[in-house]
Amino acid sequence: MIFLRRQLPLLITMVTGLVMAAQYYVPHPASEQLLTTVTKWLQIIGGFALVLGITSLFHVHAAKIRRKEAGWGYSLVLYAGMLGTVMIGLWHHGKESVDGAMTSFGWIYSYTLVPLQGTMFAILAFFIASAAYRSFRARSREAAVLLMAAVIVMMGRVPLGEYLFPLSGDLSSWILNVLNASVRRAILIGVSLGAVALSFKIIFGVERSYLGGGKE
Amino acid sequence: MSFAERMLRIDRRIIFLVIGLCTLLPLLYPVGLPIRISSEVRGVYDYIDTLPEGSVFLLSLDFDPASKPELYPQAISILRHAFRKNLRVIAMTLWVSGTGLADQIVSQTALEAGKENGKDYVFLGWSPGGSAVILNMGQDLYNAFPADYGNKPTKSLPVLAGVQNLRDVTYAVSLGAGNPGVEAWYVFGKDKYKFELGGGCTGVMAPGLYPLLRSGQINGLIGGLRGAAEYETLIDQKGKAVAGMDAQSTTHMAIIVLVAICNMFYFTMRRQLRRQGQIGS
Repeated sequence: MIFLRRQLPLLITMVTGLVMAAQYYVPHPASEQLLTTVTKWLQIIGGFALVLGITSLFHVHAAKIRRKEAGWGYSLVLYAGMLGTVMIGLWHHGKESVDGAMTSFGWIYSYTLVPLQGTMFAILAFFIASAAYRSFRARSREAAVLLMAAVIVMMGRVPLGEYLFPLSGDLSSWILNVLNASVRRAILIGVSLGAVALSFKIIFGVERSYLGGGKE
Repeated sequence: MSFAERMLRIDRRIIFLVIGLCTLLPLLYPVGLPIRISSEVRGVYDYIDTLPEGSVFLLSLDFDPASKPELYPQAISILRHAFRKNLRVIAMTLWVSGTGLADQIVSQTALEAGKENGKDYVFLGWSPGGSAVILNMGQDLYNAFPADYGNKPTKSLPVLAGVQNLRDVTYAVSLGAGNPGVEAWYVFGKDKYKFELGGGCTGVMAPGLYPLLRSGQINGLIGGLRGAAEYETLIDQKGKAVAGMDAQSTTHMAIIVLVAICNMFYFTMRRQLRRQGQIGS
């Protein structure tokens, strides 16, 4: 059992990782065909991941309802909303409109999902303004520099700011293109090196947390 | 409690009211201040503008309704430009929750431009796999999308004549609100399949994409509502983004004023405390 649980997955990971890393550098038709097949499989696995995610979501909320945990009513709403949408979606073959006419699935999408997601995003503006008022203070020299940079970029990104302070557009562009880009690049290089190191650790079986817990 | 302390602990509903008014009033009474065009947005516009008629243009609408206010006007402007230039448009999305919105955007803009589905443009819809879809399209577009959003077999569509994979795409633009988005299109698409790539994103994401822009990994970047307003100005068809710029202007200025007031009271309070000897210099 240990072979099936541990050694076989590690072996598959190692062989697949090494083959696919080498594939990138081999432009032979057979290598390209391998990539075509593998990417198709990735898409299929992606589809299963979606099913797995939804099943897990249902499971978590079913447990909440069964145990009548705090806020279990919201879980009921989630069940009703999700099952209702899935059924209506299947009825209309997942189409929001047919020949230009909106289906009931399209109605749910346009008049519930779109405004709800829009509202969630829109209220961020209010919370950001409130948070900025409460916490954006020049407590130290570093905080003062950050504050000045933020004010310049905020002015430079809107016509009124450029009208009141004409230099703000160029200054904001310089901050974004030079200071911001160089710092971001440094972070990107660090993250990429970390990703390469992690990939090697996974390929060679040093990092095994993806195998999950359980008995050996 | 001193006045400065009271002001620092002001009821947040007052701040919400200020922001609400700063958003609403300019929308009701627009001023229409001129919008300066940045080189980042011009990069995308110029490239599309110089493409010959019939070139294959791929637009990936990688966002959901949460980012509609910023990315919807970007998508509309780019599509209007592409249709005006008579490009062959391939539209798609990597975000399942954005499929309906993307379909609306493409159908509405195509109808307005008098373009025919399947002949002048195609909406491929969504396919599972996230970034893997890009790789799959790079290998074989028909493998990734055997049928379009309307269930027509993609192989039979005149708009895709001569297009086998991403290598046959002249220019691609990803309008992304996260992952998968612009970065995924560079890493899994442009780097391997060698097509030119442009990007569009929400305002908060834009600073993170500047390294790609500066290194030429993307040839242009449309950032947030401001970027959309610039594009609308460039194609001379002003819409929701230009209309929203006045509101964004006043909101930004309101936040700057609020931060300035907050710091003024903060320093006043510190001075008072220092005088009372409660904090050191």
